[in-house]
Amino acid sequence: MTKPKGNKDCEAPSEQVRKDSIEGVKVALSRTKTWGGMETREFYSSPHIDSDPYHAKNGEPGQYPYTRGIRPSLYRKRMWTLRNIVGYGSPEDTCEGIREALRAGTAGINVVIDALSQQSIDPDHPAFGVEVGAEGCSLPSARDMQRLLGDIDITRSGVAFHSTMMTYPLVAAAAIRQGKALDRIMGSHMPDHLQLNLSGWGNELVPADLCHKTSVDCIEYCIRNSPKWALGFPQGYDLRERGLPPHGEIAVGMAIVNKTLEDLLERGLSIDEVAPNLAWVSSADIDFFEEVAKFRALRRLWARTMKERFGARNERSMALRIACHTAGNSLVYQQPLNNLARAAIESLAALCGGVQSLETCTYDEPVCIPTAEARELATRTQQILANEVGAARTADPLGGSYYVEALTDRIEEEARATLSKLEEIGLLEAISNGTIEQICDQYNMDVERELQQHERVIVGVNAHQPEQVEQPERFTFDRSHTEAHIRRFIQMKRERNQEALHDRIITLYQVAKQGGNFHQAMIDALLSDGSIGEVWGTVRVAHGYSYDPFNVIQTPFVYGA
Amino acid sequence: MSDLSSPADRASPTIRCLLGMLGTDVHNKGIRTLAQMLRDHGIEIIYLGEHNTCEGMTQAIIAEDADLVGLSYSSSNYLDYTRQLIDTMREQGVGDVPVMLGGLIHPEDSDALRQMGVSGIFGPGSKIEDILDFIHRAVGRADEPAR
Repeated sequence: MTKPKGNKDCEAPSEQVRKDSIEGVKVALSRTKTWGGMETREFYSSPHIDSDPYHAKNGEPGQYPYTRGIRPSLYRKRMWTLRNIVGYGSPEDTCEGIREALRAGTAGINVVIDALSQQSIDPDHPAFGVEVGAEGCSLPSARDMQRLLGDIDITRSGVAFHSTMMTYPLVAAAAIRQGKALDRIMGSHMPDHLQLNLSGWGNELVPADLCHKTSVDCIEYCIRNSPKWALGFPQGYDLRERGLPPHGEIAVGMAIVNKTLEDLLERGLSIDEVAPNLAWVSSADIDFFEEVAKFRALRRLWARTMKERFGARNERSMALRIACHTAGNSLVYQQPLNNLARAAIESLAALCGGVQSLETCTYDEPVCIPTAEARELATRTQQILANEVGAARTADPLGGSYYVEALTDRIEEEARATLSKLEEIGLLEAISNGTIEQICDQYNMDVERELQQHERVIVGVNAHQPEQVEQPERFTFDRSHTEAHIRRFIQMKRERNQEALHDRIITLYQVAKQGGNFHQAMIDALLSDGSIGEVWGTVRVAHGYSYDPFNVIQTPFVYGA
Repeated sequence: MSDLSSPADRASPTIRCLLGMLGTDVHNKGIRTLAQMLRDHGIEIIYLGEHNTCEGMTQAIIAEDADLVGLSYSSSNYLDYTRQLIDTMREQGVGDVPVMLGGLIHPEDSDALRQMGVSGIFGPGSKIEDILDFIHRAVGRADEPAR
């Protein structure tokens, strides 16, 4: 059996490479002239601004309600962050993957966690061993988070975590072990737990009330303790993947935002403390013009909501930042190279829609986790858009298009109508009683029927199928590190100071049971080498749920009354 | 939508199909859509949903007296889970219940899946007509002695 690499074999790239990649180099704007040589402006607008109702409704780029973008010079002043996802196997495997992605020119890393760790299930759970590290990095303890980060100083380099449960507590615990102050840590995660309930996790894994409480607690803790830590909230991307149209993404996302903000304000935070730290995690699907309109409608609705409903005064609360991933569910298994064209168009939609960071899906996403070649092509796609296509030259290049403006209005209108209905029912009720799930199911059924009846054509799926197809290569990796990682995890559980851990677990249980913010207590328990399964399981028990959502294992702790 | 006969036209009782997912996979869009489409075609669906263990699913197959089982996977560990499920089904005496798979199933794995006892494989692009056809044939075959 190969011995797992220790931290020293897994050190991050040289100081300069790291500085240039994670911190510094974005996709650079190399040219403001057209390809044909004409100079262009930062943005274009109506010559009759003062009397134009269009201007009153949309503003200019950088002006309320930010329909046209959050800055006048948009990408000229600050390029979007080119992101790539990395994550498989053991923390050491993922650390190596990060190195590779940085070498290929990725500026921002999105770390993907395996399904077990995302669901706070330990890698030694008896029912799910085959899944450890299979679709992301296994990250069940603070020690593993330290291994993943290697020598990356998280007060200087931001790593974006494409995950929700336990992510911030793990990062915080690792930072404390690095001797770093929590108020200086950078990076981001996606603390939208309600979205998980809707995206296939269901009430068994994440009951709606516990989801909501955990999101509010997490955001409150982050805002008060780590103000530089960015929050990808709401996580609209997964909602789209589950089955919502663009206006549905806005409606359900805003319902989650509104409910969460209301509770945060009740806890004494101000809207201008919270909203500037939020970034909407969005999708860019294949309908180019509709997606551009969606980003515009979303920013306008957000700005108005922050100002009119929550009384925001800070412009940064009103100007919504958007983190975009192109739509995984638009990519198809058949003739996967066609997905390169899809992802390129979707990436262009995101940029014409003015997003702040962009992860372009790899063409092989429907086949396997990304191969190195596919990841490189995704990076090159964005570089082509930046340097050749001119996607970054001018803010809101489609503003003023009759078509896009009409779509923008229509999407906002539909989103507001759905949002009103959801808020009438009450968000938590609409989640628990399956209302939102039914909306998604109906949408998916409609799409399926349209595909069958050829009212919707997807190349290679229900039309233009090739006669013979070569099978794409699949990503593979050596699982020996993963197996060693599981053994090491079991050994950690055996060798830690059990009494100290037990005390902290009991404190966590009591804080959670009394309805307090349990995030400090979670961090403390992780620092005593509690695992994510043990820490989250304890929170579940304190809220009246089973320790193991799969009801296979029992809690090893005695919680008392 | 299709020219398949409705259940009322057939002499046999309603087919009971158990649909579910194993492990922690959350990609339930396909299986939920399939469940509705099969219901529309007169199949009785026992929808077990996501997050089942092999043991739990086998117990459900027994308790519900299912005529066949449909599994959906969007994650890469379907070989392991399917083998575990079929082993458990055989141990519990329901190894004769046909098993079909859908989702992101790589064609390279078809032989291995069939060898372990999977009788229907419906990867990307499969048509509902083909799935229905399979179900009717598989349930007919299920009356024969178990392998």
